[in-house]
Amino acid sequence: MKMSLLRLQDEMTKTRAFVFKNWIMTKRNVFTLFEILFWPLVAFLSVGLLTEFAALQPEMKAFILIGVIAMSAVQVCQLDVSYALLYDVWSKAVKHGFAAPVGIRHLLFGSLIVGIIRGGTVFVILMVASYLLFGFDFTLPGALPMGLFVLGLFLSAAMVGVFVCILVLVFGNRAEVAAWSLVSLMLLLCGVYYPVSVLPAWVRVLAEIIPLTYFLEYFRQFYGFQPIFSHVLVKGYVMVIAYLVIEVFLMKAALLRAKRTGLLLKLSE
Amino acid sequence: MAVNLAIEVKGLRKTFVSGWLRKRKKDALRDVNLSVPQGVFWGLLGPNGAGKTTLLSILSNLLIPEEGEVRVLGKDLRKNAMEICNRINVSSGHANFLWSLNVRENLEYYAMLYGLPGKKRQQRVDDLLDLFDLREFARVRFDELSTGTKQKLSLAKSLVNDPALLLLDEPTVGLDPDVARRIREAIQRLHRDKGTTILMTTHNMKEAESLCEQIAFIKDGRIKALGKPQDLKRELRLGDTIFISFSGSLSSRSLQELQGIYGLQTSDSSCRILVDDHHQRLPQILDFFIGEKIFIHDLRIQESDLEDVFIAFTR
Repeated sequence: MKMSLLRLQDEMTKTRAFVFKNWIMTKRNVFTLFEILFWPLVAFLSVGLLTEFAALQPEMKAFILIGVIAMSAVQVCQLDVSYALLYDVWSKAVKHGFAAPVGIRHLLFGSLIVGIIRGGTVFVILMVASYLLFGFDFTLPGALPMGLFVLGLFLSAAMVGVFVCILVLVFGNRAEVAAWSLVSLMLLLCGVYYPVSVLPAWVRVLAEIIPLTYFLEYFRQFYGFQPIFSHVLVKGYVMVIAYLVIEVFLMKAALLRAKRTGLLLKLSE
Repeated sequence: MAVNLAIEVKGLRKTFVSGWLRKRKKDALRDVNLSVPQGVFWGLLGPNGAGKTTLLSILSNLLIPEEGEVRVLGKDLRKNAMEICNRINVSSGHANFLWSLNVRENLEYYAMLYGLPGKKRQQRVDDLLDLFDLREFARVRFDELSTGTKQKLSLAKSLVNDPALLLLDEPTVGLDPDVARRIREAIQRLHRDKGTTILMTTHNMKEAESLCEQIAFIKDGRIKALGKPQDLKRELRLGDTIFISFSGSLSSRSLQELQGIYGLQTSDSSCRILVDDHHQRLPQILDFFIGEKIFIHDLRIQESDLEDVFIAFTR
């Protein structure tokens, strides 16, 4: 009993280390503040004003605003998971972190906690702004659907963030560009500004393997949009959890590879 | 009685491959064998690219070798990596840490990575700040620190988990002599007071000679020699040089027949005698000069040092 409590304390302390690191780096660097306030608001306002200019029907406006708010939250949250490794890469301190007895789970959960705080902040700010500026009520579907939707978004963000970490461990710091570009690719594929039905058939296949597609479909159904796919919530969760589990194994393999090739040391030079 | 080994390396091989299409291979370690007993201060010396950092990186679980067995603190590194990482730590020259975290926060972060809980962590961080005179820099961000203070932080960080084995990779490189001396004193104190096993690489031979009880010379990925600095000098027949200025007639042949004389160069009024150990040979040399009624004007001794050993091994 005492052993398991000590083990739990050990796990929590190590996870907290990544919360601590990301939190302080967020507080002390202006660019992270821009990520929360500037870029999401610019994207939100420009798209929101476009919907006004185009005099879109309220449900069409809802479709687009859901997309832009979801995308901003995912982007900020996934950056934090990516930063768990990238901060060390940019500091050239990777070897100190990996010489310590920590696992990928600590890195993932710790950074995700800060990601959820930051992504959640973006989500709330944009939700309030969308109500005040464009009269769009994000809370219409109720607490549970919104909670499930937001959780799906954050898990999707974790999935992207871990994928970025894997790429960095395989290709080195030149892969850091993925931290900003992967989400843009998802923007294109997942039906953020348009339904996936408008995509060419072969692109739609790609959309079908991305969980975010299903979470967006799930939430939009409360605003009158019938999902193209069936069982969207179940599919989204099953997919995102399966991907995360696979990614943890892939990241372990990537870390071992980086230790074999010497890339882990190169990332510290 | 069996000696408890802190490090036991057998048949270690590490090859780095670079390039995508035209692959280039570089053997960093070739069949390295090394046994470091617990509680000993070992020096790992060798020229640039000899494999020192590669070996340290393997021991700290940052590199995986192609072949060989690595046991650290009695356990197989491959099977018990996490457990071993908990009990060892590493510090390297040109230290880099998270740029926005201040000294205290960096130490706290690494203490958390090693699982130190709340109060114990705070106490440990406070102790380390005091031990390395870092208290006044506690709230200074890493990117605002001087090189010497960064190095102190690196050493302090390497002690957060009170390691049983400490791996130091050129801990005083790039530091001014005063800071380097203080870092050396801190390392020496740690070894003396806590009995921590230390494996240190350095290019500073005086540092190695003053700190290390045992030396391993590595070149081209192979351990070329092992032993105490004195034994290595003897093995290489480097010895000490005695310079004598005299007046009188010196018989070179008789002098050369004395025990422990490696070489002799003479002129009309001076000679240069290479001996295995000047402490042992000087009395008999003086007796010889007195016996021959040769008057000594001046006598100077030049001890060979680890630098000579280094040069001899790396040539």
